[in-house]
Amino acid sequence: MGKEKADLLQGTLDLLVLKTVDTLGPLHGWGIAKRIEQVSQELLEMKYGTLYPALMRLEQNGWISSEWGTSENNRKARFYSITRQGRKQLTLEEKNWEQMAAFIARLLGATR
Amino acid sequence: MLHLRSLASRCAALFRRREWEDRVAEEIQFCLNMQTEENIRRGLEPPEAHAVASRMLGNKTQIAEEVYLVNTITILEETARNIRFSIRTLRKSWGFSFGVVAVLALTLGANIAIFSVVNTVLLHPLAYPNSERLISVETLWTNTGRISQDVSGPDFLDWQAQTSAFEKMAVTQGGDDFATIVGDHAMFANPRYVSADFFEVFGQTSFAGRLLSKQDIPVGETESSVTVVGHHWAEAQFGSAAAAIGKEIKVYGAALRIVGVAVPGFRYPGSADLWVPSNTASGGTNRAQHYYQAVGKLKPDVGLAQAQVELRTIAGNLARQYPENRVKTVSLIPLQELLTGNLKTTLWVLMSAVSVVWLIGCANIANLLLARATGRTREIALRTALGASRVRVAMQLLTESSLLAAVAGVGGLFFAYALIQGVVAWSPANLPRIDEVRIDKSVLIFAFGLSLLSTVFFGLVPALQGSRLDPMDSLKQGGTKSTVSRSGSRLRSTLIVTEVALSVILLVTAGLLMQSFRALQRVDLGFTTDRVLVAKTEYVVRNDDPIEIRARNDLYLDLLDRLRAVPGVSAAAGVSYLPMGREPRVARDFFIQGRPDGKPGERLQAELHAITPGYFKTLEIPLRIGRDFDRTDLPQRAQVAIVNNTLARSAFRGESPIGRHIRINSKAPWMEIVGVAGDTRWQDPSRLPPAVLFVSSTQGWGKSPSIIARTSARSSLDEKALAGTIRKLLHEASPTLPVKFEAMEEMYDSTLAYPRFRTQVITLFAAVAALLAAVGIFSVQAYLVGQRTKELAVRRALGARPADVIQLIVGQGLRLIGIGLLLGLVGALAVARLLTTLLFEISPWDAGTYLAAIAVLGGAALLATLIPAIRATTIAPVIALRQD
Repeated sequence: MGKEKADLLQGTLDLLVLKTVDTLGPLHGWGIAKRIEQVSQELLEMKYGTLYPALMRLEQNGWISSEWGTSENNRKARFYSITRQGRKQLTLEEKNWEQMAAFIARLLGATR
Repeated sequence: MLHLRSLASRCAALFRRREWEDRVAEEIQFCLNMQTEENIRRGLEPPEAHAVASRMLGNKTQIAEEVYLVNTITILEETARNIRFSIRTLRKSWGFSFGVVAVLALTLGANIAIFSVVNTVLLHPLAYPNSERLISVETLWTNTGRISQDVSGPDFLDWQAQTSAFEKMAVTQGGDDFATIVGDHAMFANPRYVSADFFEVFGQTSFAGRLLSKQDIPVGETESSVTVVGHHWAEAQFGSAAAAIGKEIKVYGAALRIVGVAVPGFRYPGSADLWVPSNTASGGTNRAQHYYQAVGKLKPDVGLAQAQVELRTIAGNLARQYPENRVKTVSLIPLQELLTGNLKTTLWVLMSAVSVVWLIGCANIANLLLARATGRTREIALRTALGASRVRVAMQLLTESSLLAAVAGVGGLFFAYALIQGVVAWSPANLPRIDEVRIDKSVLIFAFGLSLLSTVFFGLVPALQGSRLDPMDSLKQGGTKSTVSRSGSRLRSTLIVTEVALSVILLVTAGLLMQSFRALQRVDLGFTTDRVLVAKTEYVVRNDDPIEIRARNDLYLDLLDRLRAVPGVSAAAGVSYLPMGREPRVARDFFIQGRPDGKPGERLQAELHAITPGYFKTLEIPLRIGRDFDRTDLPQRAQVAIVNNTLARSAFRGESPIGRHIRINSKAPWMEIVGVAGDTRWQDPSRLPPAVLFVSSTQGWGKSPSIIARTSARSSLDEKALAGTIRKLLHEASPTLPVKFEAMEEMYDSTLAYPRFRTQVITLFAAVAALLAAVGIFSVQAYLVGQRTKELAVRRALGARPADVIQLIVGQGLRLIGIGLLLGLVGALAVARLLTTLLFEISPWDAGTYLAAIAVLGGAALLATLIPAIRATTIAPVIALRQD
């Protein structure tokens, strides 16, 4: 893999965001980006330009909700939290991901 | 659902851009600040920290723009992409696409065309201002329950004086084909004699000149000297509306000056050519004579029921006051219903039939799409695996269907346009408002809605089916197409059962209508229509002047003698009521000498037909007993009459009527019955023959006769070729006699126009439906065989005989067809009950018809399953197994 940063596979960003919001509770956009970078051990570079439209989309789908709040350094920020529907979606996507991962692993194993 | 919500919020975003922009800007600013602070914490100088943060964040406007795209444009963009992709896919299988579009365009077109007729004739309000308030006021006979449009003059005047529910009321009178002279040209015109408020009831203004006012109504016994003519008539006679004003014309001998022209298209009632003011009060004080038709305009806030209650109260008072009114009351019928009521059933039957054809078409296409979607399983699975959501896949399939439906919708509109011309030309000539039929806004909305509905019907099912695919399953399955998805085949089965069932219903309907039409054609009219020419003429006699009547009779008798002398003419006669003629028939009371008169409303009634000698011979009506009239039956001799069988039977029971005396009112002379003629159906072959009392025109009876002439079966003379001869003879006798010709056969034909029209159209629809169903079954069976090629090959390889394969394939199809036939049978039994009013001499439960329908469809369906099955037996196992 070397030093190249991985591209996000399509569809996985939603999963990452949902999972992050689910584990850490209400969180602002910057926080989500930082958290994902941190967990990936800087393997993924979370561009805010990528993240923000995803947040919008998830909110529109009703999977996360948002409200204005105050950040840890007393700034006005928008906080995102997961909804009940979002949680359902998350379980579903987790399962899908695991299946797909297993499939790909098998596929790679088989062709080798 | 998810998609809908997202769509809604996206649409909302379109309108709240400002709000969104503020929010986005604020969040980006927050992010920038956070990053700057972190950079400072890491030891960068503030200005540099800010610059680095900005760089990390990227172009701020671009982010905002991207967010906005997520919110709004993407949905449009995605649709555009879907459409581009669909066009590509559909072009790749253009044969399939063409088939789908063709089937759909044809069924849509037929639906649009029939709907345009329904829309215009039944749904559109009449083309008069406030037409929903126009009401026909009719007479209801409380003893028999019969409703008649005819009202008596004195009754009408009482209603008009006492009503508070109606704004205005008017009466009309008069019929078609009155002798009219324009310049020195004799012709027929349709005048209507109307009361003062006639044009106001209809809210009419004049096109040229003026309409009628109270001052135009003639006083007492005098006659009107003015008239208003129709726009079409003014143009036909004088070249333009303006040129008609001030011209003098003669209608039935009365000189009239044209003072106005009505607006184009106004021809109420019926096909009026001109309107003459008349004094209702001078029309007689006899409440038993119902010479008028009444129409009124309700006040804006008065309902039909309320008006009916009021008029029935008035009628109730009249019933107590006058013995003639004892069994009379009033019935109100909206004018729209009066004009189109008899068409309602026919049109709704056609509309239902054509929508069934459409449903079958949709089911067919759904089947095809479903089969195709299954064929595309791997493509869809691959797209799902690559991250396309279920909604995305469904949307893609739906886009394809919508595209097909849209193209078909446009094609259908063009087809409908052509079809409407056809329907207008094909339909009965007197179908009300048929000339108004066109594609208007509501038809366009209907066409659009139906196309959309088609998409839902044939598109949604396969779309949902396709999107439910489990990519793992399909991909794992690899190239082997050995099994068929179970839910897919269940759907296919449902569609086939539906198609078969609907087709059975249509076939039974068509069969019943066809049989009843054939029965109608077989009806014995009691006279023969072929080789008879009718010459409608009118010799005007005013005020029953006896000298004029004598002159008229001499003229006609002389004319008939000359006509009989023409080679090839076997018989000729004159008659006042044309058999198969379209004028309304009036039954009137008659009295028999030596019997009590009976009460008004309970007396026997008969139609009065004035005829010349030779009438029965000309129409080949048998004289049961007694003699025909002859030339010696003159006014000064004893008055004679002939009755028909029905009258003889109802009035004299078993006794012979010969030698008995009959009369039609207390002032008329007694007439001796000299003959009994066979029964005849005069107008509507489905109605029983009425009682008829024949009187002789040689004794001064009746209005001006028309001439009927029969050509000999042995001569080569065509009855239509007689027209020239008759015209010449008439012109020699009197140059101002108008004449027009029609073959009796054609008049008879036109009485069958409605049943023929609906029978032909329904039969056509049923044939198309059965064909579509058979094609549907065939394509599904062929597809299934294709899917099971490998399985069948294995079976063959393991020793299955061709018969086993056929049994396997056909057996499955037969079960579905059987269920379909059964359901169709039940449906047809339910539908047939609604058809009762359209059927003649055939029971809606006619077993033969049901069996025939089942045999036809069952046969076609069997063939459709057999062909693919037989083809399946030709599969060579080795080749099929090697295929993959």
